[in-house]
Amino acid sequence: MSGEPLLSVRDLVVEFSTERGVVRAVDRVSFDVHPNETVGLVGESGCGKTVTGLSILGLIPSPPGRIAAGSIRFQGRELVGLPESEFRRIRGQDIAMIFQEPMTALNPVFTVGNQMIDVLRRYRGLTRRQARGAAIELLAKVGIPAPEARIDEYPHQLSGGMRQRVVIAMALSCDPKLIVADEPTTALDVTTQAQVLEQMVILQREFHMAMILVTHDLGVVAETCHRAIVMYCGRIAEKAEIGPLFEHPRHPYTVGLLESIPRVGEHEKEDLAVIPGMVPDLLHLPPGCRFADRCRRRQPRCDEALPELDGREDDRSRVACYFPAEPPT
Amino acid sequence: MSATTGSTAAPMAGTAQPAAGERRRQTLWSKAAWKFRRDRAGMVGLAVVLAYFVAALGVWTGVWATGWADVAGGKWEPVSAEHWFGTNLIGQDIFQRSVYSIKTAFEVGLVVAVLSTLLGAMLGAMAGFFSGRISDELILWLMGVLDSIPFYLLVAAIAFALEGNPYAMHVAMISTFWITTGRLVRGEVIKLKNLEFVEAAHAIGVSEYVIILRHIIPNTFHILLVQSTITFVAAIKSEVILSFLGLGVKDGMSWGLMISESTFEVLAGFFNNFLAASVLMFGLVMAFNMFSDALQDALDPRKVS
Amino acid sequence: MEVLQYSLRKLVAGIPLILGVTFVSFLLMVYFGPDQTYELLGKNPTPEQIAEIRHQLGYDKPFLVRYADYLRELATLDFGHSNSTGEKVSALLGRTIPVSLMLILPGFLLGNLIAIVLALVAANYRSGWVDKSIMGFSVIGMSISYLIVIIAFQVIFSSSYGLGIFPVRGWNVHSLADYVDYIAVPTMATVFVALGYNTRFYRSVIVEELTRDHVRTARAFGVPPAKLLYRNVLKNAMIPIITRIVFSIPLIVISGALLVESYFGIPGVGKVTFDAITTGDQPVLKAVVGLTAVMFVLAQLLTDILYRAVDPRVSLK
Repeated sequence: MSGEPLLSVRDLVVEFSTERGVVRAVDRVSFDVHPNETVGLVGESGCGKTVTGLSILGLIPSPPGRIAAGSIRFQGRELVGLPESEFRRIRGQDIAMIFQEPMTALNPVFTVGNQMIDVLRRYRGLTRRQARGAAIELLAKVGIPAPEARIDEYPHQLSGGMRQRVVIAMALSCDPKLIVADEPTTALDVTTQAQVLEQMVILQREFHMAMILVTHDLGVVAETCHRAIVMYCGRIAEKAEIGPLFEHPRHPYTVGLLESIPRVGEHEKEDLAVIPGMVPDLLHLPPGCRFADRCRRRQPRCDEALPELDGREDDRSRVACYFPAEPPT
Repeated sequence: MSATTGSTAAPMAGTAQPAAGERRRQTLWSKAAWKFRRDRAGMVGLAVVLAYFVAALGVWTGVWATGWADVAGGKWEPVSAEHWFGTNLIGQDIFQRSVYSIKTAFEVGLVVAVLSTLLGAMLGAMAGFFSGRISDELILWLMGVLDSIPFYLLVAAIAFALEGNPYAMHVAMISTFWITTGRLVRGEVIKLKNLEFVEAAHAIGVSEYVIILRHIIPNTFHILLVQSTITFVAAIKSEVILSFLGLGVKDGMSWGLMISESTFEVLAGFFNNFLAASVLMFGLVMAFNMFSDALQDALDPRKVS
Repeated sequence: MEVLQYSLRKLVAGIPLILGVTFVSFLLMVYFGPDQTYELLGKNPTPEQIAEIRHQLGYDKPFLVRYADYLRELATLDFGHSNSTGEKVSALLGRTIPVSLMLILPGFLLGNLIAIVLALVAANYRSGWVDKSIMGFSVIGMSISYLIVIIAFQVIFSSSYGLGIFPVRGWNVHSLADYVDYIAVPTMATVFVALGYNTRFYRSVIVEELTRDHVRTARAFGVPPAKLLYRNVLKNAMIPIITRIVFSIPLIVISGALLVESYFGIPGVGKVTFDAITTGDQPVLKAVVGLTAVMFVLAQLLTDILYRAVDPRVSLK
């Protein structure tokens, strides 16, 4: 990728104050997103991927959360510290978000159309009638059959997949330049999941948007993303383009993740690999590498200091590990 | 793909079940204690309540406020060194009377809070455990019925039915105040009985009553504690109004009786009786409310503040 | 049509409740209640006179017959005549209930409306100083007894020791100005007390609603905070709000009015009830209790229908 990045996150630190102390949910995370590309943000639950996504839209619940340091630049404009009233104009319009739970993400007491029309009128200055037309068009675009009828239904009358399509349609309604999708298909059954993902890829191309796909599912990443960022315990473990990442993962954590995906045909008799051990408690982090406890390549050095991402800023593959698996040269 | 969620799948042995319930409790209580201690308003409230309680104990053991019924001065004497809050219409010491009333307030509050919490816990647990069955329907019906009778009318009716028994007020309060507790306990029990450790106890053949007593009721203690503080406050406040209506405290002295005494005094410009009872009562109720709030914050994981 | 069918079903389902309430109150108030025999007799009555009076009062009939008589009275709204004034009970209630409604409604409405506004403001500034002050005042309001507020407000606003701008007690209403004059102090007292509990309740309802996912969605689509509250949140919070408001109606008409009316000497249904309590006027008590029970069943019905109006997920089945 080259050219000016659309979104540029630098050394982002997000902290939450809890009853037991301050937790760093995101610790010095940096990455870029370029126009038209899809970037996967991958990791186990609690690794900070969702928080990273939310902070791009200024939606960190505060208190208890806050962006403690770092910068998020969108089209060259600094978002950290932006007043709420200005942030509001960016949300929905320039950056849209798709949430994990289609069951609860829509307001149950308003019709689908009502919620969409609201967004359309606010951003596009349409009349009610025009907005309704536009909403029907969008619903058709995301693959909802009979949108003229569906538009007047309430969320509880739709299936999970339908609801998620409605949320996607809402996200598209203002032609955003970036969509942050937080586990958009996790709550759906497998068939629906595949359909919705396919639709999203098509729409992303059609609308010329960039997308950040937050997910725990490497399978989803493989199908949809150009690049992936693997996070562990609030830190970036590895970032790479999809091809290299899947063929030659370098961070032992990425290796473990890939091994734990079941594959049809290969090693049928063998048990599925599991990464041993537990994710460390964010309140009591070791001074060294956070993955060290579970790592099979662990050396004394790993426990001394946190490894930083290696390589240059524009490198295709970067890893935060002292002893990464070396890619074939 | 996550290796961290593997622990839930292992089936637990029957002997391990009570431990699961206990663990649930312990973490709740130790977390709550920690949270409560950090709540400044709650700690202040608790301290004030304890101070009042000491005052009540002093009355109860006869250390002070022994002369609350004696005529010790003239009519409506102002504040003096001898009579700190002055005297009432017939020359009784208002300070002693208002302090004596602390004891009455604690008596009413404790009796009503403890008994209505017990009643609510038992009936609520029964209804919840047998939810959907006839006993549940009956208890729910009873709750609905008692809820639909205006409180003061019920008190009056019970007072009549008990023919002026001094505890008619207590009985009436208990018979209405248990309902909220009962409803909450019922809801919690329905939730609890579907949890694994209760199902497991069932599976290894523990009898239903043992399950209710040993496994379910202990897990509703946090509700009971909070509800009893709320009931305590409600009882003290109701006493004042019932005593004013002539349905409350029959013998002895209470803030309610003092305030109803004062209703014609205030129009004659004598406020000592009214102020003494109101301020002391406000202090206790406010402190108890603060204490109760802090308890709720600490104990109710669902409460958003 | 759907609503009508539903209402009928609900009313039928409310019968056990009405039976229960009337039965319990009948048992307590009439069967175990005060015996009027000797109040109606002269000195040294003969056993025949006693039996005669007991027969007149219906005391000699079996329990179930007396209860059935009561139910018949309730169904026909004919409760006979008040023991103490001799006035027909239905006429007495018809005269006093409007007074109570006029007295209580303004305070009731204001107490809820102001509380909802305060709750929205507090929730909007959640954890900030605005929130903390509003909630602090609400706890103070909750801690002061209604009776104390009534007495204090009367002294402050009505007596010669205070401002002395409103009538001390009574109900001498011939014009709108009179009306405002007489309800001013009771209404202020009612609102003051209601604000404490209501604000707290409504705030917790609204705050809980604010934590829902759909609120986050709305925020992610740039809905401004004020609009978020009054449009996206308020309608969702309507179910607990409606429940609280509707269910407090039967209670305030009787219980709420009882204290204010007896303190301010206002001839409403509360005062009538209070007098009936103190004199053991059974026809009046029976009427009040029976009608309250019916009002509760109607309130239940009303809430269910209103739920349907605010929440499409609720079905009237």
